[in-house]
Formats: sequence, structure tokens, C-alpha cells
Amino acid sequence: MSENKKDASAKRVLLAGDTTLDPLGRLLERGQETPRLQTSAAPYGQVYQILLDASHPAWEFQPDVLVAWTAAQWTLPSLEKLLRFEFESATAVYDAALREAEQFAEAVLRASKRVGLVLVPSWILPNHERWIQTITWRQGVGPANLLAKANLMLAEKFAAQQNIVLLDAGYWQASLGGPAHDPRMYAVAKILYSQKLFEKAAGEMKAVLRGALGLGKKVIVCDLDNTLWGGVVGDDGANNIKLGAPDPVGECFHAFQTALKGLRSRGILLAICSKNDEKFALSVIEEHPAMALRKSDFVAWRINWKDKAENLLGLAEELNLGLDSFVFLDDSPQERDQVRQVLPQVFTPNLPTSPSDLAPFLSSLSCFETPSLGKEDFERTEMYQAERGRKETLDVSGDVENWLRSLQIEVRAARLRRESLPRAAQLLNKTNQFNLSLRRLEEKSFWDWAEEPGNAAYTFHVCDRFGDFGLTGLASFSLAGTEARIVDFVMSCRVMGKKVEEALLGYTLDRARAAGADRVMAPVVDGPRNGPAKTFFATKFSNGDGAAIDPARVGIPPQINLKEGN
Amino acid sequence: MDELIAILNEVRPGQNFSGAKNFFDQGMLDSLDLTALVAALESRYGVFMDVDEIVADNFCNLAAIKTVLVRKGVNL
Repeated sequence: MSENKKDASAKRVLLAGDTTLDPLGRLLERGQETPRLQTSAAPYGQVYQILLDASHPAWEFQPDVLVAWTAAQWTLPSLEKLLRFEFESATAVYDAALREAEQFAEAVLRASKRVGLVLVPSWILPNHERWIQTITWRQGVGPANLLAKANLMLAEKFAAQQNIVLLDAGYWQASLGGPAHDPRMYAVAKILYSQKLFEKAAGEMKAVLRGALGLGKKVIVCDLDNTLWGGVVGDDGANNIKLGAPDPVGECFHAFQTALKGLRSRGILLAICSKNDEKFALSVIEEHPAMALRKSDFVAWRINWKDKAENLLGLAEELNLGLDSFVFLDDSPQERDQVRQVLPQVFTPNLPTSPSDLAPFLSSLSCFETPSLGKEDFERTEMYQAERGRKETLDVSGDVENWLRSLQIEVRAARLRRESLPRAAQLLNKTNQFNLSLRRLEEKSFWDWAEEPGNAAYTFHVCDRFGDFGLTGLASFSLAGTEARIVDFVMSCRVMGKKVEEALLGYTLDRARAAGADRVMAPVVDGPRNGPAKTFFATKFSNGDGAAIDPARVGIPPQINLKEGN
Repeated sequence: MDELIAILNEVRPGQNFSGAKNFFDQGMLDSLDLTALVAALESRYGVFMDVDEIVADNFCNLAAIKTVLVRKGVNL
């Protein structure tokens, strides 16, 4: 691996296992997908030494991420005994194996304090490993029962630790359709797993890391004809499209819509981009009895005869989201090709040609990975719909000040708490536009930083008469003597354009001064997409005093009701 | 042969494999590279190397690799 090369922007991943993990390291390093990784595979068989001993040479690599991938039959020697019938009492070795699992979990917990993120693939047995079928799931004696219980124990032990992720290696194995283990390579070089399993593992680990870094996709834009239903509705008529039972093809499109609805329910936004008559297509969506998705499931649409790349640009602007957070699903290879050429930042996968493969294809995509799911995720579509309502009110009144007052905006400011940490970290890592410093930290590191003396972090919850935006603002500062430096100032694009940022800065300045600051700095990092933050802060600096905030230019707007508390 | 060299360069970038007599003796590949090379050849040509074939001698230069692949019916 590449311990000696310097690559400051790559995340550093330490691989610790009881078998050779170098093939995984190669795949993690050489794969084209983000994020870029640098790996170090520790000599195999030193898992406990590495987990327990902070001075073990493996830590000199200074990893951001630790992968602790062990084989159940070696990390749990009593499981091996059970598998080989080397026991006097099955119950005694079963119990001993659970104690060994607990010991491993404790060691991982200790190591998790030394690193930002720990990835632990769940334990699996080779799929050729057949045991006595009548006994293998029997409570207290069977190896299948034991393995499930040992994995559950890991999940329970890691439950409170946000920076440990137990990965579903059972799914990796099942998804291969071929062997996950390679006895030849084990004999040759103590490589336990097949190349295919390593490829799957590397892909999934990268997906998890992308999720942790806020690089997951946020929007799916769908075509309609032959994508959400079978047939061309403009030609065939609303009654003749293939959608729903009893037609088998119709069943498949209904299943695909149901899968899309599942993603929508957990926070992925759905939009439409289709060459059709808008009024007619929307009436089909609202009225066709077998539509699983209705108009209210979509946050925006472009149903017209313009080219799709242009429409995608319009959708990105309307939703205030970057095109790199978009996935475009269209059955037409020509349309996909055009979008790929004009907007390469949009993820435009090939769709399977058989309708029966559409739903399985969607559920196999790893681009929607997220480190956690919270209230904001479950209510995201409703929030965007409320935003449509707000914009429509502005269009009617035309007077921005009156409009802002009519929104009855309320901002609740609170010190960062454990309960708000997952959403705060999500905001910190996902926000590109209104972000002062573009600092990215996973939950544990952010919490630890905020707990240091002199540092303070605040969250802001925003709502108005149309609905709840949720936790959409985050600010932190670091105090040294009488000078405070605003380290993070992050606001979701959802609340942009409502003077909420003025309220957030006003509050942050008040807190910094209450903590003893007589001068507050806000050094802006010049990123590719944080123009809105740069423009905002440029209006707040004292003339001729660099990044120092001029208090006379900061204040909580009268239209905004700012409250303190949870 | 160009394809073999491309595969070798994926396993270990930045080496001049074309004229080398013995990749292993010359320090261009190690035993882990051997397993990566076998995995890459199996994936590219749809062949299967048996455990007794995964030895350095069978993959120590371009001619040796070609011999193994031709024996397995690959048309190079």
C-alpha cells in the first residue's frame, strides 16, 4: 500500500484484519469514485494489538478511518470449536463464543476513540459451510443461531457510538451470486475472501464514506413514459398505459414507483423531467388508479418539449441544489447520453431494459447512503412543498418586506446538544453554498471540538406559518483572549432569502460578546460553491479591518422572532 | 501483449514490464501482486487458475503468462 506517499486531501484508511486485506486496500485506493483514499493494511493477525494498543506501529499512519474486518471463526475461537464439534458441551462453547464477541466489541469501542470513523463488517461464514440443518438455528447450540446473536451483540454494543458503523457483510455475500470466499487464495496468501467480495466491500465502504461526508445524492429526476409507466401516454391514452395489475408489465412499473416512494419517504426528493403535455401528464399522475406516486410526492417538475439538460438546470435552480446531488432516470439512451454530455455532474445510470429489473435496480443503488435518518429526512418533501407555497405568496404580493413579515418566521437558537448532533453534523457536511469555512467533521470530532474550552457551537431551528424547516442553521466560534473567530457558519439553502442569516449572525455575535469577545473575526474560505456565504459576509466586515465583523452592520431583523432554548 | 502489459500496470503501476525477464526476481512484483494479477487475469479472460498454478514461475514474464493463458484456451 502507499504509506509513504503524501496525499493531503485523501482520507486515510487503516485496514486491520485476521486475514490479508491488501486486495481491499488496492480497490479502495484505485477506484474512481469519490472520496479518494489512501490505505495501509496492517500485518494480518494483529487485530487485538491494534485495537487495544494506541502505541502500536499501525497507528503511525494516522488514519481517519479504521476498518476492522475479522473472520468469525478466528475472532471467536469457540465458534470454530462448535463448527468442528470439538466440545464436551455445545452450550458451554456457545456461551464462550458470545463472551469472545463481547471482548471484540469492547476492543473496537476502545479503538473508536482514536479515529474519526470505524467500519466493522458483520461476521459471515463461507456460503459453502453447510451445517446440520435441523440444529444450526437451534437456540444455545447452533452456529447459525450463534453467529446471528454475535452480530446482534456487536450492534447493541456499538449502538451509542455514532462513529462505529456495523456493515452488512451478509448482504454483500448474498448479492454476489457467486463465492464470497476463495480457498485457493487463502492457501496461497491468507486472502480469505474472493475478489468479487472485495469489490463489493470496497464499493459499499466508499458509499458509506460518501454518505458520512455529505456526498450522497439528494434528488431523483424521473422521466414518465416507459420509466414510471409502460407506454407513451400521449399516444396510447391514459387508459392504455401499462401500470398496475393485472398486466405483469404494469405490475413491474407499479413496483418501481413503490420503490421510488420508499426513497421519497426517507428524504430523497423526487422530480419529473418529461417530454409531454404538462396538464395531461399531471392529470394522469393524479387520477390513474394504479399510480403509487401522486403529484404531492414530487417537489418539482418540468413537463414540456424543451431539452432535458436545460430542464435539469431549471430544476436545480428551483430546488437550490447542486446538480452533483441529482440522479436522472430515463429509459431513452439518447436522452441519457445528452444529459451525460452536457451535465456530467448528474449521475445518469443506464436503466435495465426489462421493467421487472427496475425496482431491484433502484434498491441496489448505493448513492443515497446517509450516516443517519432523522425528522428532517422524513419530512423533506413536505418542506419543499411548503416552499412552493411561500414562493407563490411572494409572486402575488411582490413586496418582499411585507412578504417576510407575513411568513412569521421564528428562529430557535440553542447550544449544540447530543440530541441535535446527528443533524448538526449532517448540515455541516452537506452544505456547500451558505458555508463560511467548508469545514467537514464527522459527529464525534465535531462534538469533541465543541466541548473544548473556549469553543462554542449553536444550532438554529427555523419555522414559519407554512411549516417547519427543522434544524437548518449552525454556528460556532472559538475564543482566544478577547478575540473570537467564527469557525463554522452554515445555513441550509432551504432558508436562504429570508434574512434568517442576519438573525443567525446577530445571535452568534451576541454570544461571542457575552463570552468576552470584543472583536469577532469571520475568515471566509474561498470555495467553488460557497458564493452566497462569501457575498453575505462581505457586507459585514469593518472597512480596512480584514475579516473583522463590524457590529454596526449586524442585527436581528424585526420580522424574525428569535427565541433561545430547545 | 499490450493488454497483458495494461493489466500488469494496473496491478503495479509505473513499471516497464515489456522486456523484463523475471518480474519477481527483479522486484517488480511481490507475492501479493501475484494474487492481484491472477484475480485480474481471471476476471478479464474468464479463466480459472487452480491452486497449484498460482506460483510465481507461471507469471514471471510475459511469455510465461501467455503460455498459461493459451493452455486455458485464451486466444491472445
